[in-house]
Amino acid sequence: MYGAEFEKQVDRLVARYPEAKAAMLPVLWEVQKEKGWIDKESEAWVAERLGTSPAAVHGVVTFYTMYKQKPMGRHHIQVCTTLSCMLRGSDELMDHLKGKLGIDEGEVSHDGKFSLVRVECLGSCGTAPMFQLNDDYHEDLTIDAVDKLLDGLE
Amino acid sequence: MEKILTRNIHKENSQSIDVYEASGGYQALRKAVTQMTPVEVIDEVKKSGLRGRGGAGFPTGLKWSFMPPKGDKPHYLLCNADESEPGTFKDRLLMEKDPHLVLEGCMASAYAMHADACYIYIRGEFVLGAEVLERAVEEAYAKGYAGKNVCGSGWNCDLVIHRGAGAYICGEETALMSSLEGGRGNPRVKPPFPAQSGAWGAPTTINNVETLACVPFILERGADWFKSIGPNEKNTGPKLYCLSGHVKRPGVYEAPMGLPLKELIYDLGGGMLHDDRPLKACIPGGSSVPVLRAEECDTNLDFDSLAALKTGLGSAGIMVMDSSTCMVKSLLRISHFYAHESCGQCTPCREGCGWMERILQRIEDGGGLQQDIDLLKNIADNIEGRTICALGDAAAWPVQSFVTKFRDEFQAHVDAGRCTVQGVA
Amino acid sequence: MPKVTIDGVEMEVAAGTTVLQAALSRGREVPHYCYHPGLSIAGNCRMCLVEVEKAPKLMISCQTQVADGMVVHTQSEKVQEAQSSVMEFLLINHPLDCPICDQAGECRLQEYAVEHGTGVSRHDVPKVIQSKAVDIGRHITLDQERCIQCSRCIRFCDEVTGTGELDFFQRGDRTKIGLYPGKRLDNAYSGNVADICPVGALTVKEFRFSTRVWYLKNTPTVCAGCSKGCNVMVAVGRKQELMTSPGQMDDGIKRVVPRVNEEVNGHWICDEGRLSYIGLEAAERLQSAQDSNGGELDWDAAVEAAGAKIREAAEAGALGLIASPRATNETLFAASRLVKAVGGATVGVQKIHRGEDDKLLIRADKGANSKGAGEILGATDAVDVLAAAASGKLKTLVVFGDLLNPDDTIDLGDAASNVENIIYVGPFVDAASAAAALRLPTASWAEEDGTMVNCDGRIQSVGRCHRSRGEGRPGWLVAQELLAAAGGESPEWAEGSEVYEEMANELETFRGTSSAGIGLLGIATGTPAAAGA
Repeated sequence: MYGAEFEKQVDRLVARYPEAKAAMLPVLWEVQKEKGWIDKESEAWVAERLGTSPAAVHGVVTFYTMYKQKPMGRHHIQVCTTLSCMLRGSDELMDHLKGKLGIDEGEVSHDGKFSLVRVECLGSCGTAPMFQLNDDYHEDLTIDAVDKLLDGLE
Repeated sequence: MEKILTRNIHKENSQSIDVYEASGGYQALRKAVTQMTPVEVIDEVKKSGLRGRGGAGFPTGLKWSFMPPKGDKPHYLLCNADESEPGTFKDRLLMEKDPHLVLEGCMASAYAMHADACYIYIRGEFVLGAEVLERAVEEAYAKGYAGKNVCGSGWNCDLVIHRGAGAYICGEETALMSSLEGGRGNPRVKPPFPAQSGAWGAPTTINNVETLACVPFILERGADWFKSIGPNEKNTGPKLYCLSGHVKRPGVYEAPMGLPLKELIYDLGGGMLHDDRPLKACIPGGSSVPVLRAEECDTNLDFDSLAALKTGLGSAGIMVMDSSTCMVKSLLRISHFYAHESCGQCTPCREGCGWMERILQRIEDGGGLQQDIDLLKNIADNIEGRTICALGDAAAWPVQSFVTKFRDEFQAHVDAGRCTVQGVA
Repeated sequence: MPKVTIDGVEMEVAAGTTVLQAALSRGREVPHYCYHPGLSIAGNCRMCLVEVEKAPKLMISCQTQVADGMVVHTQSEKVQEAQSSVMEFLLINHPLDCPICDQAGECRLQEYAVEHGTGVSRHDVPKVIQSKAVDIGRHITLDQERCIQCSRCIRFCDEVTGTGELDFFQRGDRTKIGLYPGKRLDNAYSGNVADICPVGALTVKEFRFSTRVWYLKNTPTVCAGCSKGCNVMVAVGRKQELMTSPGQMDDGIKRVVPRVNEEVNGHWICDEGRLSYIGLEAAERLQSAQDSNGGELDWDAAVEAAGAKIREAAEAGALGLIASPRATNETLFAASRLVKAVGGATVGVQKIHRGEDDKLLIRADKGANSKGAGEILGATDAVDVLAAAASGKLKTLVVFGDLLNPDDTIDLGDAASNVENIIYVGPFVDAASAAAALRLPTASWAEEDGTMVNCDGRIQSVGRCHRSRGEGRPGWLVAQELLAAAGGESPEWAEGSEVYEEMANELETFRGTSSAGIGLLGIATGTPAAAGA
């Protein structure tokens, strides 16, 4: 399922811990980097490699919010809506995004370009409102800045 | 005040080890491992009065003294970089802008713990922070500040960056260990305590990023110097304050422990966001601590002053709310956070958080019943003190404090069947 | 040893004992869900919170170790408040399924709600909805909504079977028990998760909707499925006059569940043993003495005729006897007496072997009393007697049929056609009985009080759970009647215990023991202390 390079990286990760199972989160990140999300087969592969049960891996994948259990958009927009961002306009930002992208929270646009989710505090309260686009933080957002940013994406 | 913790963050290339060393970086670590014993390091930190900056404010030197003498089990130091308490963003600043300060703090503290390895557990969302730290770790290894024979002392200690994947509960020290071991982020019943049986059953100490970042300064300039900063011996050292919400200049501000709250808001923070919307409420220590009404805000931001007001400094996440804020909606948003983040293990938190959120949603939507306000408080009271970890308390305290201190507003919202604040000037 | 005072009663306990264990061991019930003596401690249900003097908060008694001088209150006002609040929290998202839930009558949620609950629901917002009646394994149905997330089932699959099929998915109040997608809960011990589930989230399919537990009559006994002899409780239905649904009208065996015996099976039984009653209940029973065509015979006449054939064959040195490894010691001993009385026979014991021993309870030797048979009849297989029969050397072959499942009855092969008279002594109409010229019905495993010896040499009691069918009676009684009919002097045993007494006088293995002294947990053979009396 995975190439030699991938397996080597997994070996490197496993070596950083006293027990193989501790590499669970890092290895799942590698899987997600490789495949874009974490499918059933990958869960079984990880279970085998780390010496645990597939149910335990599935339990981990469904516990942590950042692991994707299905393919999301090429540009995955994670909008913070916790208190400080709410005080600075996150809800209006979210409404604008829904309208602009034509999707609701948790959905993927039909062309697979965008997905939109509501997330909790991203540790960027001083630059609210903001969202995380794939890996990157975009802070001090205004409607205009958001439009400019998204319109420029492939 | 002289900038201590944030002295490097505006420097060009501040993440590089060369810049860090040029300003005297890693000398404290060298001093610790070549001239001091671990016990001496612990004593110095004890004397300094340093208290944990993650939320609990537990005396750091005391926590360190719980570690047993080095036997045949490995020892671990875990750096809690999971920063997820709403209103808090100070650790992120240090990690992204001065990663070597964090690493030096980790290594010096790891030395005091006789640690064989230090794992920095950084929340998954801090992708940039993790990248910056990984590069810094490579640099540190290359110069002998981590890994084998640290600073030529003969002591070996690995330094590993470990990314989380989206769970506030993993900032709880025992949940952090469960997650580090590769499982769901479930807190553990205590005892056993981490110093007795922690990560992989071995003696473990867990400290917050900012707490560890203070250690190089304490070792370099001495406990007395550290103690001289701040209002008294129980509340010492420089502090990073995170200001957010309805202010003109939100951000991280460094000042001595005990900064007056109003100075933070009106001087450093530039005052209220809108001049015609005065202060209504303020949460001083991250969303888990009880809220303060405007008239309670003549206080200083230190552990004991806020404890006296029945709230807490917590993670120093100061969230400012002006007169346009609907306290019902705010509490709903906070309660949603805890319901979303509850690990689900124990009964009161698992069921109670969701229940409180649903009642608040009903009030917000206009369907609030007369008994809802007392019911909310009663549910919160029933969660408090009966859970495996403090998330239950953290969910209960906002509800208790909001509903008690802003009862009239909740009552009005229930009576009117809608918000009586927003939409009204 | 630390001393702890619980509700005013001082007790001394071994170091390391938890407050909950100390309380339970002295008969003080502290309500709890997630704690189970056969599993690790979880501490998540929070039902066992108690007040410990000098402690700042209530503490969970399942995990708090007793310290010398500790003073504990399990029923103080603070504790009662905590208990009723935990009950309230457990019930807010719990579906009101009692009317259709198998657990009713033995449900801890029901019981503790009555004892510790608030009695009135304050939850009037939407409940969390999960999946119901999910088929997760050959024998188990999952109702995710009923689950109280105690994690016992997860711990069972991790710690006891090591198969790890179950885990929690999602978090918060969306947490649910589940399987890795596509996997099944099909380990050999899956039924145990239904036993340990404190509510009706995990139920055994074979028992689902069959009857209400308060109609069940429970009898302690041991499983006959293999030589481990796991301790079980057999539950038989009771005819209910006002009931009309078929399941409530008959007195058949409704289910079998484990009985705790730390020396044998701990808290568990395997699925095969758990469900072995199904084959028994479905089997066609021999209800009267029969001839070779299945025609009904007068009992006494049949015994007379059988006895004559036995004597004839024995005099010609052409008598064979095959005992069942699932027969009781009493039946086996009576058979040995029969053989002795008529001057000898080629004796064998059927060997039922399937698969392999596993690391837990399952034994390849499916004969619950093969050890007893070895001790009493001095035989561990039937190779010789079957060979003699197949080669025409036997005139009469007495075959004891299986007592649990007709499919396990011995395959006579060529013996069937090369022996003049096969006499079948057993409970079923099966392949062996079909080959017999004379058939005498006996009690099944569930219908006889007796004893067996398990693979570890433990003597255990088999309890009679059920009425006999037709003219069926205990195997030892039939053997005694045959002995007399064959011209021997009847020992005149009236009870199984009398058979045991004589057996104990004669055989070293049982010396010093009595059937009354065996008790519910059995006794180990070969130890002086085993002389239970």
